[in-house]
Amino acid sequence: MADNTTKIRTFIFDNFLFDAEEDALENDTSFLEQGIIDSTGVLELVDWLEEEFAISVADEELVPENLDSVNLLSAYITRKTS
Amino acid sequence: MQQYDVIHSFLHQSALSHPEKIALIQKEEKVSYEELAERAEQISQWLLHHDLQPGERVAILTDDACEYVAAYFGILAAGGIAIGLNTQTSNHALSSVLADSGSCIVLSQQKFQKYASVIMAQASVRHFETTIRSLWEHGIRSEPKPLPRIHSEDIAQIIYTSGTTGAPKGVMLSHRNLAANTQSTVGYLGLTERDTIMAVLPFFYSYGNSVLLTHIAAGGTLVVNQSFLYPNVILEQMAAEAVTGFSGVPSSFAILLNRSSVREYSFPKLRYLTQAGAPMSPALAANLSAVFPEVKIFIMYGQTEAGPRLSFLEPERVVDKAGSIGKAIPGVTLTVCRPDGSEVEVGELGEIVATGDNIMAGYWQQPEETATVLKKGKLWTGDLARVDQDGFLFIESRKSDMIKSGSHRIGPKEIEDAIMEFSSIHEVAVVGHKDDILGEKIVAFLVVKEGCDASEKELLRHCRRNLPSFKVPHTIIFENELPKTATGKIQKTELKK
Repeated sequence: MADNTTKIRTFIFDNFLFDAEEDALENDTSFLEQGIIDSTGVLELVDWLEEEFAISVADEELVPENLDSVNLLSAYITRKTS
Repeated sequence: MQQYDVIHSFLHQSALSHPEKIALIQKEEKVSYEELAERAEQISQWLLHHDLQPGERVAILTDDACEYVAAYFGILAAGGIAIGLNTQTSNHALSSVLADSGSCIVLSQQKFQKYASVIMAQASVRHFETTIRSLWEHGIRSEPKPLPRIHSEDIAQIIYTSGTTGAPKGVMLSHRNLAANTQSTVGYLGLTERDTIMAVLPFFYSYGNSVLLTHIAAGGTLVVNQSFLYPNVILEQMAAEAVTGFSGVPSSFAILLNRSSVREYSFPKLRYLTQAGAPMSPALAANLSAVFPEVKIFIMYGQTEAGPRLSFLEPERVVDKAGSIGKAIPGVTLTVCRPDGSEVEVGELGEIVATGDNIMAGYWQQPEETATVLKKGKLWTGDLARVDQDGFLFIESRKSDMIKSGSHRIGPKEIEDAIMEFSSIHEVAVVGHKDDILGEKIVAFLVVKEGCDASEKELLRHCRRNLPSFKVPHTIIFENELPKTATGKIQKTELKK
């Protein structure tokens, strides 16, 4: 779980937050509310999830409850891989 | 619908006709027409008590649609010129638009407090208000000031174009420009107070602005969710609010068709889809018709400089005139002209030239730029098109998009349409890259659909089968995504580098 969180944070910083400070993103910060990711960014995120964790993200799973923060993503990955 | 020539009359009339009707829905908040008109009136009074003079510019910087709409109409009624700022901004972008427009007041929200030093550093800015809601919640307690008389030729709004090419330009639109375009659009879409639109496009750009004005004028309801992050959330809202319409750009429809559960939903009330912002490929239009068989699809064309609508393709012609942008909307005349201004023959390539009450007053403080596109009262759009024997317009490309390869002048659109017919392609953009021998070579940037494969060899084979040899791309580059402006237009200038 902690390992997933680190991976997710690295991905978000590398792709969307770039040079921001480490404390610019809390693990429960909403990507939507804070405007961190845009609509094509979500598709990028999904590509990465599928490749990195060898999971398949169904269209109906593209909802904020699964994807909208580091913690939600981490829990989603755990559910998909367990 | 009664004719009005100032924009804020649309809101006042709808508030008088059906005060309790819901105008805006945003998350849990539902705002009636009466409430919206009252909020706008409070903002007008606040502006007048802060010495707003007619013609002064007031910028709006908020991602709260309820705030935006009340501020927009409040500014207009108070005699100001409204400037909707892109909320995805930076210090540089913000200061350049504020400096160019000479805005004196910025109406915003708390989350943009971080820009306070940039905003207040502008010589023209005398007030930065970060709680728009407090302007109507607390109101002005002193004696109301009389509203100024607004004339139809007064400038209502300056829209900064998204800058697909070059530096941003402020497009000045008068009340008459916007009123004429709004009334024409309401007419051909057949909008009434029974319509409810899913509004996903930001209001600070011309397409979203048109969606806002047309539905307020018709007395309809706007369900607003301007982040297209989770398409299924939008679909849920569309179903829950029983929307009758949806307006998007091609990428909105591409995402809905390729990366959402759209096929699992039914939308019994949905009656119209509108698409503008860029041409829709015939393949995407056909897919959309298959998913929404009973829904009217309006392919539309326009420019911010035209307030914005110029033409539409009647839904009944989407199949037999696939790829066309249709004909001029009521009140607009479109001709396709040679550089000397004479009209082209059927099938001959020329530039689309527009006249009508909707054509902009000019670019803000840029008379030379204005003179390059407004000539003798006509707007030279820079879009190259052909007219068929039935009078339907087919855009080939922007003038600047033309690829000169060998002795050929090649519009990229035909190549893009051919590539889009290849079933595994999500998006494509074709541009010219410098080439020592040809002048320019044809380069196709592609995004492949989720879970699909496409090899360069297969694609070239497909192109060779469907295109004359000089139009077959010289290079194919696969990308994860294409660079886009905030309105979803592909930034070809980025791909040309």
